[in-house]
Parts: sequence; structure tokens; C-alpha cells
Amino acid sequence: MTTFSLNRRAALLGTAGALSSFAIGGKLAAQGAPITFGVLPPLTGAGGPYGPAMLRAVQGVVEEANAAGGIRGRQIRVVAEDDQTNPDAAVRGARKLIDVDRAACIIGTWASASTTAVAPLCWENRVSLFTVSGADSITLLPHQGYIFRTQPNSRLQISTACDYLMAKGARRVFHLAAQSPFAASSQEVMVEKFRAGGGAVSGYIVYERDKTAFRSEVDQIMRSRSDTVMLNGYLPDVTILLRELFRAGFEGRRFTFAYAANATTFQSLPNEVTNGLITFQPSPDLDSGAFNRLKNRFGNVEVDPYSAQTNDHATLAILAAAQAGEATGTAIRDNVRKISQGDGEKVDNVTDGLRLIAAGRAVNFEGASGPVSFDDRGDIQGTKFRYEVAENGRFRLLELV
Amino acid sequence: MEAYLVAMLVFAGFYALMALGLNVIWGLTGMVNLGLVGFFGLGAYASALLTTKAGLPMPLGWLSGATIAAIAGGIMALIVARLRGDYLAIVTLGFAEVIRLVASNEIWLTNGTDGISGIPGPWRGYVSPQQFNLIFLGIVWTAVAVGFYFLSRASHSPFGRVLRAIREDEDIAAVAGKPVLWFKVRAFVTGAAVLGAAGALYAHYNAFIAPESFAPLLTIYIVLALTAGGVGSMRGAIVGAIFLITLIEGTRFIAAEIPGVTPVQKAALREGAIALTLILLLRFRPQGLIPEKTRTKA
Repeated sequence: MTTFSLNRRAALLGTAGALSSFAIGGKLAAQGAPITFGVLPPLTGAGGPYGPAMLRAVQGVVEEANAAGGIRGRQIRVVAEDDQTNPDAAVRGARKLIDVDRAACIIGTWASASTTAVAPLCWENRVSLFTVSGADSITLLPHQGYIFRTQPNSRLQISTACDYLMAKGARRVFHLAAQSPFAASSQEVMVEKFRAGGGAVSGYIVYERDKTAFRSEVDQIMRSRSDTVMLNGYLPDVTILLRELFRAGFEGRRFTFAYAANATTFQSLPNEVTNGLITFQPSPDLDSGAFNRLKNRFGNVEVDPYSAQTNDHATLAILAAAQAGEATGTAIRDNVRKISQGDGEKVDNVTDGLRLIAAGRAVNFEGASGPVSFDDRGDIQGTKFRYEVAENGRFRLLELV
Repeated sequence: MEAYLVAMLVFAGFYALMALGLNVIWGLTGMVNLGLVGFFGLGAYASALLTTKAGLPMPLGWLSGATIAAIAGGIMALIVARLRGDYLAIVTLGFAEVIRLVASNEIWLTNGTDGISGIPGPWRGYVSPQQFNLIFLGIVWTAVAVGFYFLSRASHSPFGRVLRAIREDEDIAAVAGKPVLWFKVRAFVTGAAVLGAAGALYAHYNAFIAPESFAPLLTIYIVLALTAGGVGSMRGAIVGAIFLITLIEGTRFIAAEIPGVTPVQKAALREGAIALTLILLLRFRPQGLIPEKTRTKA
């Protein structure tokens, strides 16, 4: 009998602990007046290298907007939760942002699986979702307009890359892809493009990204007599592949996404291995006023494309709410296109935008990631692409198209 | 706030079901199962595919999820019949990874790493999101209650006593005339069925599953929940699951209250705090919050 009452006490203690920890959260939500923006970037896990800067970009824009008087006099509060680059954790984080903090929008989901997991919560609770995920399937969800994606979808990215490669004379391209939501759709696009352009995809292998050696894959590339290899993977595996291709004496063109080869690649591989590697990425608009402001705010360090996008997410949400005169997820959804495209006066920052909107003028926001115009599905239109080549431990700009 | 609490209680329910399933295999029978997320995933995929592609009604989907996981559990038990301890742990871990890899590569069936979205939920879309949450709260905790009732009965029955005997020393159990392998298979089947049912419910609550949802992290969470609650104790499994969710979610708010902490530091602090709490618990209360009451110890 004594043991039972002890158990019950322990259970009660646990419940009390649970309630008190939740009560702290309740106090936060009760303060009410400011408008809340939720940010759900990956602060730990595979996306960990990108999340903190993405969050900093959002905070910068919100500070600027608050200094300019906020949204019709109401200040904006940023609440960030870590999605741990894991769909399960992302759902719990989004629940907290939506139900406890009453966020009007959620900004900055990175991994496609996290975005897809969080999306139904957003449209069911009428919260706008701004994302940098690339999987084609995301904007095909029945999202009722609540999803805005500033990352060009993978189909557009790959088809642009194919055009570039063919223009450079590639005829036999080997496609080596990590298993991801892009692999299969990339392959479809490549086959279609190269067949139409008189070339061919000389081979296609999907590999498991956690492997530490890729000998058999590299052997198949060598056997295929390809003039170009498309490394459609991620940073750790592409680094290993580059080394093994060099060892095997591959002399063709090596082409990859910029997120799969960056400054850390140069630290782990000698220059003779990386020289000649071509990378491409949807480019932030490097000459734009918005991009330069962001760069200044970051202290003149390199700005990655994802931070440029979350900078624009925050600006879009603030201007849309100001345009609507209310800061609900639905108001933001309905007004994003009014302030991001059309004939309005062009602005590249939140302060000018808020001033013009307050004066009753139409605005057209041009962001750090590009002109930020959205089609009916919520996909971005008209992004620039940037091609770079590795030369002695640095990237040199080849073309900006 | 209420909606959030309800949602977290639903998650606690999933974790409690999984901890109950693990408790039969590991807690009672002593077979280390680090592949539990594999059975969970199998149940989730089975139910998601059968309801979205084959048009099966949801309850049948859940039942099939549990059944398919149970069959896999039975086969698994036969494969690992001779393995114990570390070797068993490695093989079961491998099983979960195989399930995850098959789910990411057999695109024709599972839609690969894109995952399956738009999985129906009971009355989802017809009721408000908050009502849906409450409906699911009822479903999940009913499942926990049913699971708890039958598993507790089983654990105190002659069947449960044989499982414990196998856990303590399977050679002695064999000498006493108990068909050890047959008992192990039945324990694995029962545990895997509960894990599969949890997965099936999870898929319909979340509306979306992808291979990444079934990463080893979840296995570790559940093993920790059961360890915290009390290995071998069915009540411990449930208390441990609630404790784990409270810990994971509570640290969110506590870390936010510390002044001068950036969100990045907060994320790191949270993970550190969860790890530290579990280390302290294991150091000072290794038998768990609600220890198992067995004849051998009394």
C-alpha cells in the first residue's frame, strides 16, 4: 500500500511540474498586444549550419520595421523555435508557434520534409507559411494559398542547369544523385532536356548519402565515357565524390549545386582536386539594394541564399500585413501579391515600404533573393542563376543569368 | 495554449503506446529492441498506403498497420532467435534502418523521400482543427488504455511470468520445460503489434509521413521514456512517456525565460538539459519513476 501512495505522489509531482512549465508559456502569450511572427529554422541537425543566419536575417528586418513604427503602430515580436531538421520536431515547434504564440505567419522552414509536415497545420489554422524548401510537391499540396516559396522548385533549377551545360557543349552527362525528393524529378527533366538538345544522359545512379566510399559509382562514371558529371548531392558526399573522381582520373566537367560545395570543401580537399568544379545556385540579386543592406547588417560577410530569402519573407509578411491593416495569416496571404508584384513603386526595404503604404501608395517589393513575384501556386518567378568555377581555393563568378 | 496542450498530450499518447510495445519486448522478455521505430514506421506506411491508395476505411487501416507490424515482429523474432544483448541490439537497429531505406528508395510504393501527404484523419476537414485534436486525443488515449489493460493483465499472467523468467535466465526457463523460442516470438509479435498500431495512428494524425520521420532519434526517445518510467512496468511506460514529452516541451519555455539567451543558444541548451536530466535520473533512480514490482525482487 505504501508503494502505491508513493507512486501516486510521484505522478502528481510530475503533473505539477508539467503544468508549471506550461504556465510560464501562458504568461508569455497573455501579453498580447504585439504581432507575433514565428520562425522555424533548423538550428540543430543537418540544417544547423544555415538556420542561425536565416533567423538573424528575420530579426534584422523586424528590428528595422519596429524602429519605423511597426505595423500600423503595433510592434512585431519574433518567436523562434528549432525544427531540429526533423519533421516530428518541426510539427511540435509549429504547434507551439501557432497555438501558444498565436503567430500570424511561420517563416523559414528549410528541409522539404519539415515543410510538408508543417504545411497542413498552417493552412488549417490560417497561418501563412514562407519557406525555402525546394521539393516540387510542396506547392502542389492543397494549401489554399497559404504557402509562399522563394526557392525555385527543383524542376526549374535542373532545367536551367541543363540549358547552361548544353550551351557549354555537354553532350554525354552522367547523373549521380543522392536519394532525395529531387533525384527522380531531376532525372526526368535531364533526360527530356538532353534528348531534345541532341545529347544524352549517359548514366543515372541514385546513391545513399551516408556512405563513406563511392568506388563502384565512380567506376561506372569512368566506364560511361561522359563529358560531364552532374553531382546532385549534398556537401559531405559530394566532397568524397570529388576526391574519388580525381583519383580515378576523371577529366570531364564536374557540375554541382552551390550548397554541395562551398568554402568548407576547399578546407577538406587540395586545390588540384577542386579546380575546375562548376557550381550553380539560384542567386540572390547581388546588385540589389536589399541584398547590400542585408550584407551590411551581417557585417560584410558572405550572405547565403537562404538568409536572403528569409530576409524577404519577413519583409513580405510585414508589408502585406501593413497593406491589409490587420496582421492575421489570411490577411497576409491575401496581400502578399499586392505588395510584391504589379505596377507599384519599387522598394527594397521595409522602412520605405511601410512609409509608402501608410501614405496610401502602391508598392512593389524587390528583395535580396530576387524580384519576389509569385505565381498562383505560391512558387517564385524569375529568379537569377549564378554559375561559379573553383580556382585555387576560391570561387570565381562565371555568369549570372 | 489549450490546443497546444492537447496536441502535446496526443504526442504523449503515441509515445506511451510505443513505450508499452517496447516494454513487452525489452522490459518483460529482456530482448533489447533498438528497431522499434521500424515497426512504428511499418505500421504508419501500411495504414497510410492502404487508406490512400487502396481506399480502405481508417479503422481497417489501423488494424492492418498493427497486423503487418506484428507479422514482421514474428519473422524478426525467428531471425534473431539465437542472438542476445549487443548482437540483438545491432540487428534490430539494422532492421529499422532497412525499413527507412526501403521507404526512401522504393518510390513506386512509398513515394520516396517526398513522403506521403494528405493522409485522411477522422473527420479532418469537417470539424475545426481544435475539435480534430480533441477527437484524436480520445482515440489515442483509448488505445493507450486498452493496450495498458491487456498488457498489464498479460504481464501478471503465467505468460508474463514466463517472459520474465526468460529475461532473467532463458536457459533455466528452457530447463523448466518452457518453449523459449515460442514465447519470444509471441512477445515480439505482441510488442510489434502495439508499435505498429501507434505508427498507424500517428500517420493519420500528422497527415504526412516521410522516411525522415522514422529516424533512430525516435527509438532513442522511447527507450529513454521507458527507462525513465521503469523498465518492465506498464504504468512506468506511460508515466515515462508523459515525463519525456514534458521534458522535451517544457525545456522550450524554461530556456526562453533565461534572459540574454539567443534562440540558437536556447536550442543547444534544450538538448543539453534533456540529456542532463536523463543522466541524473539514471544515476539516482536507475529503477525508473515507477519501478517494476516482481516476485523475484520482493
